[in-house]
Amino acid sequence: MKFSLKGKVIIQGIMEPLGQWAARQMQAYGTPLVAGISPGHGSSFLGGVPVFDLVEEIATLGEQVDTSVIFSPPYEVLDAGLEAIAMGIRHLVIVTPRVPPLDMVSLVRRAEATETLVLGPNSPGLVIPGQTLLGIHPPSLYQRGFTGLVSSAVSLTYEVALTLTGAGLGQSLVVGIGGDSIPGSTISQWLQILDEDEDTGVIVVVGQVEDRWEEHLADHIAATIYKPVVVYLAGHLVRGGNISYPPASPMPASTYPWQPSDPQQRLTQLGQSGVLVANCLQDIPHLVRQAAPGLLGE
Amino acid sequence: MDLLEYQAKELFRRVGIPVLPAQRIDSPADLKGLKISYPVVLKSQVRVGGRAKAGGVRFVNNTIDAVAAAQTIFGLPILGEYPQAILAETKYDVQRELYLAIILDCGLRRPVLWGSAQGGGQVEADPERLQKVVVDQDFSPFCARHLGAKIDLQGPLLPAVSEIIVKMYRLFVQWDLDFLEINPLGVDTRGALMALDGKVRLNDYALGRHPELRSLVGEQSLEGGCPRSLPLGGNLAILANGTGLTWATLDQVMALGEVPRCYASLGDGEQTGTLGRTLARSLDQVRMVGGVKVVLVNLCGEVGSWNELGAYLEQYLQQVPPPPPLVIRWGGGDLATAWQALASLPVRLTASLEEAVEQAIALAKD
Repeated sequence: MKFSLKGKVIIQGIMEPLGQWAARQMQAYGTPLVAGISPGHGSSFLGGVPVFDLVEEIATLGEQVDTSVIFSPPYEVLDAGLEAIAMGIRHLVIVTPRVPPLDMVSLVRRAEATETLVLGPNSPGLVIPGQTLLGIHPPSLYQRGFTGLVSSAVSLTYEVALTLTGAGLGQSLVVGIGGDSIPGSTISQWLQILDEDEDTGVIVVVGQVEDRWEEHLADHIAATIYKPVVVYLAGHLVRGGNISYPPASPMPASTYPWQPSDPQQRLTQLGQSGVLVANCLQDIPHLVRQAAPGLLGE
Repeated sequence: MDLLEYQAKELFRRVGIPVLPAQRIDSPADLKGLKISYPVVLKSQVRVGGRAKAGGVRFVNNTIDAVAAAQTIFGLPILGEYPQAILAETKYDVQRELYLAIILDCGLRRPVLWGSAQGGGQVEADPERLQKVVVDQDFSPFCARHLGAKIDLQGPLLPAVSEIIVKMYRLFVQWDLDFLEINPLGVDTRGALMALDGKVRLNDYALGRHPELRSLVGEQSLEGGCPRSLPLGGNLAILANGTGLTWATLDQVMALGEVPRCYASLGDGEQTGTLGRTLARSLDQVRMVGGVKVVLVNLCGEVGSWNELGAYLEQYLQQVPPPPPLVIRWGGGDLATAWQALASLPVRLTASLEEAVEQAIALAKD
């Protein structure tokens, strides 16, 4: 899966309240937003951005568009994604939460067949500090630097960025894969992208105890990721919390996709794979510094 | 959301998965109008497992026995859950039991067909026998036959069971299910098949496009913000705008050796514009939990209008008797705007998470 942002950006669902808000934020940040799509709102403008009924119509702009940020309502996200892919767009950022998982299965199948990179759903998007904002990240929290951050959370992503920035550690690329059950792209995929990213020196992974993390994440990091990795699993200190359980059934618990495995066990495995495990938020900048003493001269 | 057995079987019936003649019993008196013939099995309709072992399944031969058994079942909680209904079903002589399930596997991001040649309680005892087929691309009946062959079905049983799996898959896609299980699938002496028990888990996100399912399961609140209690019993409540941030705030408090009493995520307010209302509802619920001496509200990023939040907080603070005090932390925004909106209110407000946590712990210990 290739990741390179060279072309222009559109927003699907730009007339949704959050879409309108994000359009202003993204423009102000310097993201090359060239059009919005909102069926029924064609031939209008939003803050100087032309709005079309169909993705196909952006051809009239004569721009090379390679990214769509999607704010369409949950049950229209699959259709919006398929329309963008059909028009040759190969990066999708889905901000909309609560997309039915089977719709995501269909979209993931299509995305794999066309080598399309899908971020989300329920994703705050992606930000390259000082350069590009795709989604709803609050831009003021970020600062250019060498830490790559990939997270399954929304507001906790901002919190970690705030902690890093506050400690004088900027970020190279911050990405939220989204907290829903079927993500368009996984932590592993973004680890790979950050591992190959020239501007990233250390990778921070943020998850939470209720995530269904990939079973083999620890092995994957040990075998294929060369850069130092810091992990924080929010909620790992909580005991006795009411984590959701599968319906009563004789199936072995490990086969339940919604049954998170024991967080302590996951962290132990990660630790054994050479990952630096943060106990709480303030540990993250310390571990980043520890992992990358040579990069501190920035 | 999980369906009860009789609701699951209603879905099975619609696609032609064979189920036994049955009748829902809402009170023991209903058994006098039973339309199916004895012997009958009475099954407690609960969502938890292990009901047969717990005494929630009883065989009866006549109305007198049935009424007595139903009274017992209605009064018998299974893992704390009382049945709202009993399913009365014709007794069935089973020759062999199979296991079939379809699960949406979030790691593989595909539906997976599961099966075992030994169903019923044997699945748990012998999980190694479970076989799976991942539905990588579009489903076609060969996927079902593939599973049938993997669990060593032969002769006419292979196409017959495959047909059941095809119908299960149709249900799975039509109703946006997370999980669908038939255990056991009974095979009788003539090789005829019967779904003897069924479990169906609906996907909450998709319920909005299935009004028919909503009426089947009854209207239930889908709104977040309901606090969850920790059985450890401190006197600090935690509310934060996002699930991950809520967990992280719990870690901050627990790392200092303090135990929260309850916690709730206020959802990602900026995506819905309803943070104020959710906060007000959660604060009310925290009051009902009781024993809370201080509420730590941790917000990060965009939170909407502080004037609106302030109005909700003012309402909360004016209540009699006085509710637990608030420590509010807001990171990543211009704190001056928040100060302005909350100036007249007796709340502690800070941008520093560490400071807020320390203040809240100190107040909880007072």
